[in-house]
Amino acid sequence: MANLKDIQRQIKSVSNTQKTTRAMKLVSTAKLRRAEELAKRSRLYSEKMNQVIAEIAGRIKCNKVGGIDNRCFIEIENPKMVDIVFVTADKGLCGGFNIQTIKAVKKLITEYKEQNVKVRLRGIGKKGIEFFKYNEIELFDEVLGLSSKPDKKRADEFITASIEDYKDGKIDGLYIVYNGYKNMITQELHVNKVLPVDTEQFDCNETATSLLEVEAQDEEKMLDSLVSKYVEYNMYYSLIDSVAAEHSARMQAMDTATNNAKEMVKSLNVQFNKARQAAITTELIEIISGVESMK
Amino acid sequence: MDKLKLEILTPNGMIYDGDAVSVTLPGEEGEFGVLAHHASLTTLLEAGVIDIEKEDKSVESVLINWGVVQVDEKKVIVLVEGAVAIRGDNESDVAKALDEAKELINDIADSNPAIASVSARIESAAQKLI
Repeated sequence: MANLKDIQRQIKSVSNTQKTTRAMKLVSTAKLRRAEELAKRSRLYSEKMNQVIAEIAGRIKCNKVGGIDNRCFIEIENPKMVDIVFVTADKGLCGGFNIQTIKAVKKLITEYKEQNVKVRLRGIGKKGIEFFKYNEIELFDEVLGLSSKPDKKRADEFITASIEDYKDGKIDGLYIVYNGYKNMITQELHVNKVLPVDTEQFDCNETATSLLEVEAQDEEKMLDSLVSKYVEYNMYYSLIDSVAAEHSARMQAMDTATNNAKEMVKSLNVQFNKARQAAITTELIEIISGVESMK
Repeated sequence: MDKLKLEILTPNGMIYDGDAVSVTLPGEEGEFGVLAHHASLTTLLEAGVIDIEKEDKSVESVLINWGVVQVDEKKVIVLVEGAVAIRGDNESDVAKALDEAKELINDIADSNPAIASVSARIESAAQKLI
């Protein structure tokens, strides 16, 4: 049986861990609420943005001979190179949050490798970057500190490089992979094909909301400018969604850790009591047998 | 006078949602005003100031750096990337908004030659509030 003092020390250490995990859970709960609020407010913008793009793209697609000839809307038949942007957390201790994203990225890479397509990996977040570096998979670009503190300007700067490369024809596809927030206890993995934009979703419903329509400026130029903003916004939204998911994952992981620690303290206490009882019994037996032998 | 419904949305949330008598927008091909029952129109906006005239004749200014507007007969929806509303109940609030606005202007300054006039306009808008 283990030494009484050893068990006592173990109990103390486990309950200290429990304190830490509980505190981390509380911090994540508070941060989650804020992140969730931001994501919710931002979703309104995305709805309208999609609406505007769908309307303009739909109009061009249906009214112009040959459809849309903007590169951002055309499915490229033999892609040579694709960009994969992944978003992971900067910190760990959040269960399987990061590894899920990493796995999805790895799967995507293998799929493209099989088709002989080159992949450029662009990473956001320390954990994912560390993983790929450790496994000696080359990263084209990396950013730290953006996933824990989403910032529209930095996100724009980061993704603009990919958008420009796409428009120049250097790359033929752009993916954003991240773990998004679904609800308090679940995260949802997103593998979003951002470019080229899927035109299937735009249909030609001629729902003229107004009888009179002002002929706008060059619609294709407008679409070109809109699509950049659309991708930039998608990147930003991935970041804020990922932060919310990270906190919910951490909250959950820390909750489980706290519970585990509680269980452990309980079983250690039982062990401690048993050991103490055993020590008392041994001592008693020694005394009694000592007295017996004196008789 | 008839009112129109105006929504100004940024990636970080809505900054204006309410009725207005008229809105002046910095369109890419020039500034234009929108009253209620305007014909449908979708167009891009460039960096500039949106002036919102409210029912009580007061004017609120919102600085934007890029945007797209969707106008139909009942509603005006403006999607912007970065925006600062020049408003506040007291002097310090207005000053704070003005500082934010200037920061936004500095970010876009090199890409737009007409930025000096924008800067002057938001200052005068802030002056009126104080």
